[in-house]
Amino acid sequence: MNSRIRAGLIGGIFGLLISLVSGGQIAYLAGIIAGAIASQLAAQEEDVASVRAGIQLGLRAGLVAGALTALGVFIRGFLINPLVNVSADASVVFMLGLGGLVMAGVAGVVFGAIRGLPSPQNRFGTLLAFGLLAVAYPFLDSLLNLRFMNEVIPVLIFILMALGLNIVVGYAGLLDLGYAAFFAIGAYTTGMLASPHFGISMPFWIVIWIAAAVAALFGILLGAPTLPLRGDYLAIVTLGFGEIVPIAANNLDNVTISILGVTLLENFDLTGGPRGINPINRPSLFGYAFEPSQPIPWYFLILGLIVFSIFFILRLRNSRLGRAWSAMREDELAASAMGINLVRTKLLAFAMGATFSGFAGAFYGSFISAITPASFGFDVSVILLCMVILGGLGNITGVILGGLIIQFADRLFLPQLGDVVQGLLQNSNIEVLKEINFKTDFRTMLFGLTLVIMMLVRPEGLVPNERRRRELHADDEATAHERQTLYDAEQA
Amino acid sequence: MTNAPVLELKNVHTYYGNIHALKGVSLTVGKGEVVTLIGSNGAGKSTTLRTISGLLKPRQGEVLLEGERIDQVPAHKIVERGVLQSPEGRRIFPRLTVKDNLLMGAFTRSDKAEIEQDLERVYGLFPRLKERVAQRGGTLSGGEQQMLAIGRAMMGRPRVLLLDEPSMGLAPVLVEQIFNIIREINSQGITILLVEQNALMALGVANRGYVLQTGQIVLSDDAKALAANEMVQKAYLGIE
Repeated sequence: MNSRIRAGLIGGIFGLLISLVSGGQIAYLAGIIAGAIASQLAAQEEDVASVRAGIQLGLRAGLVAGALTALGVFIRGFLINPLVNVSADASVVFMLGLGGLVMAGVAGVVFGAIRGLPSPQNRFGTLLAFGLLAVAYPFLDSLLNLRFMNEVIPVLIFILMALGLNIVVGYAGLLDLGYAAFFAIGAYTTGMLASPHFGISMPFWIVIWIAAAVAALFGILLGAPTLPLRGDYLAIVTLGFGEIVPIAANNLDNVTISILGVTLLENFDLTGGPRGINPINRPSLFGYAFEPSQPIPWYFLILGLIVFSIFFILRLRNSRLGRAWSAMREDELAASAMGINLVRTKLLAFAMGATFSGFAGAFYGSFISAITPASFGFDVSVILLCMVILGGLGNITGVILGGLIIQFADRLFLPQLGDVVQGLLQNSNIEVLKEINFKTDFRTMLFGLTLVIMMLVRPEGLVPNERRRRELHADDEATAHERQTLYDAEQA
Repeated sequence: MTNAPVLELKNVHTYYGNIHALKGVSLTVGKGEVVTLIGSNGAGKSTTLRTISGLLKPRQGEVLLEGERIDQVPAHKIVERGVLQSPEGRRIFPRLTVKDNLLMGAFTRSDKAEIEQDLERVYGLFPRLKERVAQRGGTLSGGEQQMLAIGRAMMGRPRVLLLDEPSMGLAPVLVEQIFNIIREINSQGITILLVEQNALMALGVANRGYVLQTGQIVLSDDAKALAANEMVQKAYLGIE
C-alpha cells in the first residue's frame, strides 16, 4: 500500500515539475509520463499477480501522480502566471489540471494492466506500450501544440551515443572520457563524403555505414595504445584523444605534406578548419527529400536507428563477446585465465562502442547540415557519461531513461525554469533581484546541482534496477551471509 | 614416475622487470599425479604457475605440455590446450552469479551438452555451489569462493589443473574440505600441480613435491620422504 503511494509521489514529482515549469497543454503529456512512471515503479516494488491487480495498483499510483501533476498546473495557473502578468482563465486552468489527473490515471491503469499479464507477455507489452508512445509522440506534439520536435531529435542523437558508450563503460568497464571524438569522426566522414566540400555526394544510406566503419577503425586505433592501461590511466588517455580530434579538425584546413622534397599535398583543406563543413547533403528516400522544416521524418529515422542499435546491442551482450566483456570488466587476470583474449576483447569493445557514435555522427551531420569542431568538445563526452551513469551502468533501459532525463532537463526544462524564475524576478519589486540574469547565470549551476543531488539521494539511478541496487547495498547482505557460513563451519 | 610427463619445465628463468624471480626452475608433472610446490612467501611459487599458464613469459628455458613448447603461446591459447588455473586469491567474478562464473570457466568450449554435464559434475563435487547458483560470486564466503574458483577451472576440462594456494585465508575445517575435494578431483584422473604454503596438507595429498627457495628448486622427492625430511620439517612444517 505504502509503496504504491510512494511510487505515485515519485512519478508525480515529474508531472508536477513539468506542468509547473512548462505550463499549458503539456499538462496532458506530463500526466501520461507521471502515470506511466508511477505505475512502473509500483509494479517494481510488488508482484503483480493478475491484470485486475495491475489495474488497481496502476490506478492508485497513477491517481497520486496525477494529483501532483494537477497541483503543478494549479500553482502555475493560479499563482505564477498572475505574478508574471500572464492572464489565465480559471476554467482553462482547471480543465488542464483535470486533464493531467485523468491522463495520469489512464496511463497508470494501462501500464499496470500490462504488468499484470503473464510473464513473457508483460515485458513485451511494456515494451510495446513505450514503443507506441514513442511513435505517437510527433502527433501528440502537434496535437498539444508543444513544438518540441526540434529539441527531441538532438535528445535522441545523444541517447544513441549513450547506448554506444554504455558498451565501452558499462559492459567492458573501460572508462572513456573522450567518446565525443568518435561522434566527430562519424560527422566529419559524412561531411567529407556527402557535401560540396570535396564535391563528393554519396547517398546518406551508404555514408552512414562508412561513417560507422571509420569510427570503429578509429576506436581500434585509440584502443591499441591503451591496452596495458586501466581505470584512471585509461581515462586520461581517452581524454587526450577526445581533445586531439576536435583540435585536429580545427587545424587540418591547410595541410602540406612533402617527403624528401616531393610535395604530395599543398595547402589541402581536409576539414574546413574552424568553419567546419557546410552544407552537408540531406538524405532522401524513394524520391522524398528530408527537409529541416519537416522534423517528423528525421524523428522516425533516428528512432529507427535507435531501435536497430538496441536490437544489435542486446544480441551483442548475450553473445560470447558480451560474456567476455563482463568477465574482463570484473577481473582482467581471471578473464585471461579463463582463456579470454584480452587484446581482441578490449579492441572490439572500443570498436563496437565507436560504431554507434559513428551512426549518431552521420545522422547529426546530415540533420544539422553544418559541422564545426566546437560541437564535439569535452562537454559532450562528459554529458554522455553522466547519462550512462545516472540511468544505470550496463542497463539499456536505464541508459535511455537517464538520457531522456538529462537531455530534457538540459534542453527544455532548465531553460524554461530559467524563464519562469526570470519572469518572477523581473516582476518583483526588489531592485537587486531584477538585476540577476537568472537564465544565463544559473542554468549550468542548476544542472550540476541536479546531478549532485541525484547521486547523493539515489546512486543506483532513478528507476531502481534490482541488480545495481544490490551491488550498492551488497555489504550488509554479504556480511550477514559470511557470518552464517562461519557459523556453519564451526558447527560442522 | 615412469610415464611421460604431461607438464615439464626445463631451466625456466622468469623476470619481473629487472627482478630475477625464477632462477632456472625445472620440474615435471606426470599424468594423473598430484605434484606440489611448497615454499615460503616470495619463493616464486605463484610466478612458476603464472609462467606455466602464460600470464608471464620466461626469458630463458622451456615449458612443455605433452612434449610441445607452450612458453611463447599467449595465455588464452594455453587455456584452450587444457591447462586451467585457479588463481591465487581466488579471483572469482564478484558481480556474476555462481552459475555464470562456472560457465565462464567453459569459455573456450562450445559443446553445450557436455558443458551442461560438467556443470552437474562440479555441483556434485561442490553441493554448496548448487545451493547458491543464482547468488552473486562476491557474496559467497571465502571457502565457497575457493570452491567456485576450483569449480570454474574444472569447467574448462583441464588436462592439468593448476591450484594456487587453495587454502589461503580459510578456516581449518574448510581447508580440510578443500583438500578432500582435491583428492577427489585427482581420483577422477585429473593431473594437478598444487602450490601451497600449507606444506603439511599439501604433502598429505601429493604424490611428489618440490621445495622452492628464492626462485630455485632446492629439494625434490616423494611427498612422504619430503614430509620426513629434516630440513622441510624445520622450515615448513614447524617441527623442531
